[in-house]
Amino acid sequence: MKRFMFFCVSAFWGAVLSIWAFAVLAGNEAPSDAAAADRMVTPDELAGHASADDCWMAIDGVVYDFTHYVPLHPTPPVVMTPWCGKEASEAYHTKGYGRPHSPAADAMLPGFRVGNLAGDAR
Amino acid sequence: MSSISEDRVLSASAITVVALVVLVPPAWALWSAWPGSGSNAAWRIAGQVSGVAGLSWLLLALVLSVRVPGWDMPFGGLLRLWRIHHWLGAASFVALLLHPLLASLARAADGPAAVLATLTPPPGYWPVWVGWAALLVMMAFMAPTFSFFGRPEYQRWKWLHRLSGLAAALGLLHAWPLTAALPTPAAFWWWAGLGALATAAMGWRIALSRWLGRRAYVITEVTPLAPRVVELTLAGPPLEHHPGQFVYLTPFDSLLDAGRGEEHPYTLSSAPGEPHLRIAIKDLGDASRALLDVTPGSRAAVEGPYGRFLPTASRDPALWIGGGIGMTPFVSAARALDAAGGAVDTHLIYCANDPSRAYFLAELEAIVRRVDGLVLHAHFFAEEGPLTAAFLAHRVPDLDQRRVLVCGPQPLIDLSRALARDAGVPTSRFLSEEFDLL
Repeated sequence: MKRFMFFCVSAFWGAVLSIWAFAVLAGNEAPSDAAAADRMVTPDELAGHASADDCWMAIDGVVYDFTHYVPLHPTPPVVMTPWCGKEASEAYHTKGYGRPHSPAADAMLPGFRVGNLAGDAR
Repeated sequence: MSSISEDRVLSASAITVVALVVLVPPAWALWSAWPGSGSNAAWRIAGQVSGVAGLSWLLLALVLSVRVPGWDMPFGGLLRLWRIHHWLGAASFVALLLHPLLASLARAADGPAAVLATLTPPPGYWPVWVGWAALLVMMAFMAPTFSFFGRPEYQRWKWLHRLSGLAAALGLLHAWPLTAALPTPAAFWWWAGLGALATAAMGWRIALSRWLGRRAYVITEVTPLAPRVVELTLAGPPLEHHPGQFVYLTPFDSLLDAGRGEEHPYTLSSAPGEPHLRIAIKDLGDASRALLDVTPGSRAAVEGPYGRFLPTASRDPALWIGGGIGMTPFVSAARALDAAGGAVDTHLIYCANDPSRAYFLAELEAIVRRVDGLVLHAHFFAEEGPLTAAFLAHRVPDLDQRRVLVCGPQPLIDLSRALARDAGVPTSRFLSEEFDLL
């Protein structure tokens, strides 16, 4: 028992270290497209991507392409698709019941970035 | 307590750490690439389940650690209750170590940044950091329990174990916002209920038991039985107890070298109904060593009684095996039989190193002459070596028909268990009292 518990604690720190090392080696930041950072997306263009098969959203002034992520999202697609083509900051920050998305979700956002929403001061 | 070689533990642990560092990233990559792994639903659920189970077990372990005289009886005595507490605590620790790993690896398909952000989010995301604090506090108080750095000193272990309350509070603070996200109020009531029970248990333990659980006594006599062994006599309110039960004794003698104001468990040697309590004490540590010289007339507090080692009203055929200070519960039982009268069918084997260490032998010899059916055998290790099957077969030929109760050092308990099993005593009829709580 004592030996088993010692193993568990050692294994835990070993795993944490592995995750950290792997994340650092793999690159902590999602690849960002320099062109995407400068691109401006108009509200009309955003509204043109309003289906589950072509889903863009604006969150805090940044436009993301979630087309490939919708089927991977933990909730059924019906939760996410109504926000396709729209400004979805409130939905992202409250998930509809006052709870923000996790830091893991925040960390994933840059990977989906398309550009900035034109006309948004943020 | 089983002792293990620290070197072996360290080397085996080092191998485990290295193996994990080497194996986890490929396993992770494999998992990420596995078809259909995108939702990671199984990992996410495993992460949530381990968290909820781990914290629930921790809170239950806290509740079970409460000492209220009499409440331990349905569980088979305080020692068995604490074994459940011990196993629950260990299971909780393992589950809570798995929880952050599973929860973060559930994001493996979302990329390394998502995994790391789940494990170590930005500072503003406090629920996760509070969870980390809870886990680190848990490691701090679990380390001495599982002797990570050698056997701890009892009082230090006890003090560190109080951190379990802090770990549970931080755990609840972590779980509250995160599990409240569930679409059901069940989570709220689950944590509120368990949290309230644990708070009540801690409140009793820290504050109320001191006033409501303890009773004031005066140590009236200190009778030397042998070198390093005394029997204390305490005068105070009558204490209803069964033979073989133990109490927590807190001496307040200002002249004590150690252990003043500290509570330690000791088995009662007096029979129920005696006008005074008697407690046999052997020098097994700083506090018990100091008690050998406690000043007669000094004050002490007694909390209890606890334990359910000896069947309270059974006169079924039995074999009692006591070793050293482990004779105490049987001395209490023999004194009770002597006082109550009537016949029994009980063999009592008194194991001691040599006649000079058999300090209760003369009194027991006198008692067996008065109690019909109580048979005493002395066994001296220095002369005869360890207890053997031949010794038992000769002295107790119908051993397999008896309930066997053993109290003494761990090697004697292990040996007796093996001998009883070989003689055909079913496990259900073998009972032992192990006083090592660590």
